[in-house]
Amino acid sequence: MVKKTVLIFSLMFCFANATVYEDNCIKCHKQFTPSIDKYFYKYLLIYSSETDMKNAIISYLKYPAKETSVMSDAYIDKFGIKEKSKLNENEIKQAVDVYWEKYKVFGKLK
Amino acid sequence: MLASKKLGTDFHQSEKQTLFRFSALYILLTIIIISVFSFIYFELQKDLMLQQQKSTLQKYSKELIENLKQLHKNFDKTQIYPRSDKFESAIFDNEKKLIFSTTKTKLRLDKILYLENETIHLVNIPESYYLGARYIIVKVKDDKQWLEQTKKEIIIFGIITFLFMLTIGYILLRLFLKPMRDAITLLDEFIKDTTHELNTPVSTIVSNIEMIDRSSLDEKLLKKIDRIDIGAKTISNIYQDLTYLTLGNKIISNNEDIDIEQLVLERVQYFTSLALAKKIKICTNIIQNTILYADKFKISKLLDNLLSNAIKYNKVGGEIVVSVENKKISVEDTGIGIAKDNISKIQERYKRCNKSSGGFGIGLNIVSTIAKEYNLKIDITSKENIGTKVSISW
Repeated sequence: MVKKTVLIFSLMFCFANATVYEDNCIKCHKQFTPSIDKYFYKYLLIYSSETDMKNAIISYLKYPAKETSVMSDAYIDKFGIKEKSKLNENEIKQAVDVYWEKYKVFGKLK
Repeated sequence: MLASKKLGTDFHQSEKQTLFRFSALYILLTIIIISVFSFIYFELQKDLMLQQQKSTLQKYSKELIENLKQLHKNFDKTQIYPRSDKFESAIFDNEKKLIFSTTKTKLRLDKILYLENETIHLVNIPESYYLGARYIIVKVKDDKQWLEQTKKEIIIFGIITFLFMLTIGYILLRLFLKPMRDAITLLDEFIKDTTHELNTPVSTIVSNIEMIDRSSLDEKLLKKIDRIDIGAKTISNIYQDLTYLTLGNKIISNNEDIDIEQLVLERVQYFTSLALAKKIKICTNIIQNTILYADKFKISKLLDNLLSNAIKYNKVGGEIVVSVENKKISVEDTGIGIAKDNISKIQERYKRCNKSSGGFGIGLNIVSTIAKEYNLKIDITSKENIGTKVSISW
C-alpha cells in the first residue's frame, strides 16, 4: 500500500515537472531553429558537469544577458536575448532537471 | 674471527664482537646506500620511459578528442563511443565523475602521466568539453622492456658497488686495527723476550735449592732457604704462565689419561711452601678419584693457576679446600672474593679486579683457554670478603 502511494506520488511529481518544462520551454523553443537540444550541448561544451551546467542555465533564465549567453554573437544579433523567465525559482529548477534528464550524456554512450 | 686471523692478530672476545658489529653495521649501511641509489635510478628510468611514451599517448589523446568532437556534434544521431585497438580510454566531467570508460579499472586523475597496474596513463584536458569531458585518459599497456633492462643494470651495478665497498671496508678495517694489533704484538714480543731471559737463572735457582741437603742446615738458614724457594717458585710459575700464553697456540697437546687425585696432591705439595708463607692451610678433599683424558702439562698449569690465585687473593691465615669428585675439581678459598659484576669479565686476558696483589691478570685467562680446549666447564661462585670457589667439571 505504502509502496503504491510512493510510486503514485513520484509519477505525479515527474508529470508535474514535465508539464512545467513542456508548457514553458518547449512551447516557445519548438518555433525556433536550432532545436532545444543544441542549446544543451552548447552548455555541456562549456560547463561539463551537471551542477555547473544547471546553475548556469538557471542563472541565465533568471538574468538573461549577452555576456552570460552561450550562443554566438551572430545568433544573438539575429534572435536577441530572451526575456526574463516569469517562473518562480522552484519551477525553473524543475524544468531544468527535466531538461538535464532528457539530454544528458551519462548512460547513453555505447 | 676469520678477519682477525687473516690480520694476524689474536683478538679478545669483546674485540671480536666490536669487529663483528663494525662489519655488520658497515654492510648494513652499504646495502642501505645501494638500495637508495637503486631506487632513485629506478624512478629516473621510469620517468624517462614515461616521457618517451608521452608523445605517443598525446597523439592518441588528440585522435580521441577529434572523435569526441564529431560525436558531440552528432549526438542526436549516434551514441557510439569512439574506440581504438591501439589504446584504452575514459572521459570524466569536471567533478571527476566518470562519463564513459572502455575498461572497468579504477582510474586516477591526480597525476598527468603515470604507470599503474603495468599500464601507462596520460590525463589530458581538452580546450572544449566535448560531451562534457573535462578529463580525458588514454592508456596503453607497458611492454616492460625498460623494467627488465633497469633490473639487470641495478643488479650488476649493485654487485659491483657492494664488492667495491667491501674492499674499501676491509682496507679501513686494517687501518683501524693497526694500532691495536701493534700494541698486542709489542706486549707479546716483550713478554716473550723477558721470559726467555728469565728462564735460565730461575731454573738454576730452583734446581740448586732442591739439591741442598736440608738436614745439614740450621733452622735460621733453613727459613732463608725456604723463602728463596718460595720466591723462585713464584717466578717459575709466572715464567711458565707467560710462556704458555705466548706459545700456547703452538704447543702440541700430548693427551693421556690423568689420575686427577695424584696430580692434585702433587700440585698442592708444590704450593705448600708458598701457602705457608701466608699461613694458609691447604686441605684436600678427595671424595672420589677421577680420570681426565688431556695433556698433563696443561691440566697441571690449570691447577697451578687456580691454586696460585687462591693463595694470592687469600687472607693471612686463611684456608684453601681442593676437592676432587666424579668429573669435577674445585678450589675454594677464604679470600677477598670477586664482585658480582666482575665475575663474567675475570677470564679476559690482562684483567685484574684487584690491583693490590701482584700478577699480570693472565691466570684465569690461561684456565679459560685450557678449559675451552678440553670442553671443561668453569663455574665461579664468589662473595666479596668471604671467598671464591672455582669448579672445573667435564
